[in-house]
Amino acid sequence: MQSVSTLERVLRGTALSLVIFFFMFPIFWIFLMSFQTNETILRVPPSMVFEPTLTNYRSLISGTLEGSTATLEIRFMGNLYNSLFLSVTSVTVGLLLGVPAAYAFAKLKFRGSEDIAFTLLSFRFAPPLLVLLPLTIYFQKIGLADTYVGLIWVYQLIVLPLILWIVRGYFEDIPSDIEYAHRIAGHGFWSTFTKIALPLAGPGIAAAGLLAFIFAWNNFIFALVLASADKQPVTVGALAFITASGINYGQIAAGIMLSIAPTFALALYAQRYLVEGLSLGAVKG
Amino acid sequence: MSLSLKDVHKSFKKDVVLDGVSLEVPTGKTLVLFGPSGAGKTVLLRLIAGVIEPDAGEIAIAGRDMHGVEPEDRGIGMAFQNFALFPHLSAHENIASPLTAQRQSKSAIADGVQRLAKLLKIDHVLGHKPKELSNGQKQRTALARALAGQPNVLLLDDPLRNVDAKLRFEMRLELPRLIKDQNATVIYVTQDYKEAMAFGDEIAVINGGRVQQVGSPAEIYLTPANTDIARLFGDPVINLLEVTPQMGPSGPFVSVSDQHLVLPPSHVGDVDRPCILGLRPEALRFVEAGAPGAIPLTVETEAPLNEKTVTLAVTARGREIMMSRPAGTPGPSTGAAHMGINASAALLFDRDTGALIPSQDAKTKGKVA
Amino acid sequence: MSEAMLQISNVDKFYGPLDLGVHAVKNVSLDVARGDIIALLGSSGCGKTSTLRMIAGFEEVSRGSISIAGREVQTLPPVKRNVAMAFEGYSLYPTVTVRDNIAFALKSSGRPAAEIAEKVAEIAEMLEITDILERFPSSISGGQQQRASLARALIRDADLYLLDEPMGQLEPQLRTLLRGRIKYYIKERGLTAILVTHDQTEANALADKIAVMEDGEMQQYASPEEIKDAPANLFTGTFVGEPPMNVFQAQATASDKALVFALQDGSELSFPKSSFAAALHDRIVGLGKVTLGVRPYAVHRKETGAAARVLANQWLGDQSHIAAEFAGGALVLVEHDRAALAEGDQIAVQLDPEDLHIFDPRTGAAISHGASLVG
Repeated sequence: MQSVSTLERVLRGTALSLVIFFFMFPIFWIFLMSFQTNETILRVPPSMVFEPTLTNYRSLISGTLEGSTATLEIRFMGNLYNSLFLSVTSVTVGLLLGVPAAYAFAKLKFRGSEDIAFTLLSFRFAPPLLVLLPLTIYFQKIGLADTYVGLIWVYQLIVLPLILWIVRGYFEDIPSDIEYAHRIAGHGFWSTFTKIALPLAGPGIAAAGLLAFIFAWNNFIFALVLASADKQPVTVGALAFITASGINYGQIAAGIMLSIAPTFALALYAQRYLVEGLSLGAVKG
Repeated sequence: MSLSLKDVHKSFKKDVVLDGVSLEVPTGKTLVLFGPSGAGKTVLLRLIAGVIEPDAGEIAIAGRDMHGVEPEDRGIGMAFQNFALFPHLSAHENIASPLTAQRQSKSAIADGVQRLAKLLKIDHVLGHKPKELSNGQKQRTALARALAGQPNVLLLDDPLRNVDAKLRFEMRLELPRLIKDQNATVIYVTQDYKEAMAFGDEIAVINGGRVQQVGSPAEIYLTPANTDIARLFGDPVINLLEVTPQMGPSGPFVSVSDQHLVLPPSHVGDVDRPCILGLRPEALRFVEAGAPGAIPLTVETEAPLNEKTVTLAVTARGREIMMSRPAGTPGPSTGAAHMGINASAALLFDRDTGALIPSQDAKTKGKVA
Repeated sequence: MSEAMLQISNVDKFYGPLDLGVHAVKNVSLDVARGDIIALLGSSGCGKTSTLRMIAGFEEVSRGSISIAGREVQTLPPVKRNVAMAFEGYSLYPTVTVRDNIAFALKSSGRPAAEIAEKVAEIAEMLEITDILERFPSSISGGQQQRASLARALIRDADLYLLDEPMGQLEPQLRTLLRGRIKYYIKERGLTAILVTHDQTEANALADKIAVMEDGEMQQYASPEEIKDAPANLFTGTFVGEPPMNVFQAQATASDKALVFALQDGSELSFPKSSFAAALHDRIVGLGKVTLGVRPYAVHRKETGAAARVLANQWLGDQSHIAAEFAGGALVLVEHDRAALAEGDQIAVQLDPEDLHIFDPRTGAAISHGASLVG
């Protein structure tokens, strides 16, 4: 009987390794590419053996792209800063607006609350381009085109429904009796929201914030249409690597590594909140 | 503070939960709300607490209409069936919650929490979070939190439901005294008839959103208003037999397995009325075969039950009878036997409505109690 | 003496690796005679459910053997063990009516329709579910679902009937009556049943023998009467019995004529030396510190005796439960009529040495029940 379970363990381990390899391989390959020159990358057949170089990272940080024929100025670090600023601000605004709204939708069943909540979610169904074209015209008229404020506003289309629907679920999972108990103990509505509801939904809010950050960070189409070069995030800025003289794979790889670094770090750090958030056992026990 | 409910209605969508409930609880008294699950007891407590509003009717505390008064301003303490402790706060912070709301000083809060924790024997776990507490400790913490604010009105929603049998028994003996010391007006919700009888100055039996009977434990047990209430109080459940009273030489009587059970003379008017005879298991005893009125039956099984011996027997006509006697007293455990009925403990109900048909005898019993 | 229908021999259950994982069932052995009902009684996490699941075959036996009707079954899948099981939860097939749920096993064994209908009608009447036979499981109450699940198990022909908390959801008014009927049904047909429950009332009412479990170990395996009269240890003594046994710590000293137990508040219980067998007397004195237990029904109010002050008197219709302050603790008495006592009343109680249970406070093992030494 012991032998059966040992075999089972080996099989399970193998299957797991295969899955991890399958999903992680592209990232691993890009990681290797970022330390190679274009020549070594384009070797046939490809090889894992090469002499690592930091030139890709160096040129990104200095902002000069050494092509085979010419030198190109790029604003990669500026793009990175834009990404960070836009994502952080959008998520902050999204949380400030979304969390209280989520609480209202979860706990105060008012007339039409379901319809409004669904309408907000349905913003996610619409193809972004459909929204973008009229929006561009309006934004140009009211002077919001190519401004951070305008971009952050549009980013709410991405982050707000996400935060609203995830956090609402967490608020709904808090037993009403716990909030009633706090009210009856003599505390007001606001105090019950801040002292009971917010801490208990904390893991959920963190999870929603993280996901919203990732979605905002990865957004491409809104920024492509609405932002000019100096407001562009990395997703759009990366287009600059495709030059007339060819595609600089090594620098693209390094750019990808740099741009996924913040979300990667954040995900690693917030992993325990995500896990905790997904199993709200503490509240129900 | 006295508490009064006048004709309170509450529905959720089309589901009528409370259909005109009126109750009065004098200052310092305990009213037990007793009824099966889904009877509307918990909803009634929430209405009193103010976390939901009634559709119609008035709820008054100390004569003051509570309409529009927020839960935090009603001077209420409440213990929940599922404890509803704040999971992210320690037992100490949980108990201190009503005191912090009253903006008491740090030392006053510490003293107050200590006093209750000692009384409820949880002073050694005050630093623990709820998930680190045993069920019994959670229950005591919830109780301490309900008492901490020294509320005028205390609402206890089946607080012993989720603790083990041993602790439930201990708390049943202990809790009434603890509550009395608070000088609060108490509403205690339970589904356990023993708790209801042990706690209540008065018991209100609630079923289907209506109050069916209000009375002292003795009134409810000895003169239940209908067969439903008679079945809810007592373990084993009361025996209910279909009978039709007839007139005999020594007054009205009913037949149980061809033996005559003489009823009090006041039942003269109930002759030929379709009735149900209620016989409490403890009002039945084993007798010798030749004893007057002895009813032959066959004992099927016998089992011990909380210091009693419970017998399931079948009469010659196939009617099942449950009998109980103090543990340790002799009796047949199987086979043929004879049963005698304590006629003064017999109850008569109308067969159509299930309502009690009071006899003079039963009325006096209720008053004495 | 009838043959053993179920034999559990030195069974261990580990969750995780053998000898290293969580030790849920510790070296449990018990024999169940054909035609007996036995109860595995204990609080949650005591190992009773793991034991039942090992008998049923839902859980692997880590060590030891299980035989049903003389056949070792621990390596057989559940379907080959010929056991019927009623579940605590709602395990009815949701897509068919209650009637088809109950008849399922009989139908698949190809019995004639008339016989099936008759059997279903009989068991439905016994469990008071006749009027819901045509309904679907989702439309009936928890208590009704549990009764249907019970009917589905009891209607089968099996060597062994496994009942996992079969009455936990039942309406309280029905419990005592249905227990009586189920016991009669099982006994009349000579079936063998294992009941798992945390409710001692249920175990007492149904079982010929009760296996009391705690922390994976079997504490005692005996008839309900024996467990009440001679609990093997302090755990069993205080776990079984409602209201629970009164327990006091005492220091025993002997004089020429009397054996004196000094209680925690300084009061003393004194018994004539002659009321204890010599061997027991010497054992008690040798121990010095002992734990005394006395069942609530064995405490009697008398004209004279040890003084106690009434804390609570609760009349429950056919019994009075009285709690009195005694020796720094609470002493509980049960009387079978309505006691005329109020809080604060002084009463005198007498304890008969015949009703005294004495335990070793260090091990919890019983030393005596009544006047004689155990064993």
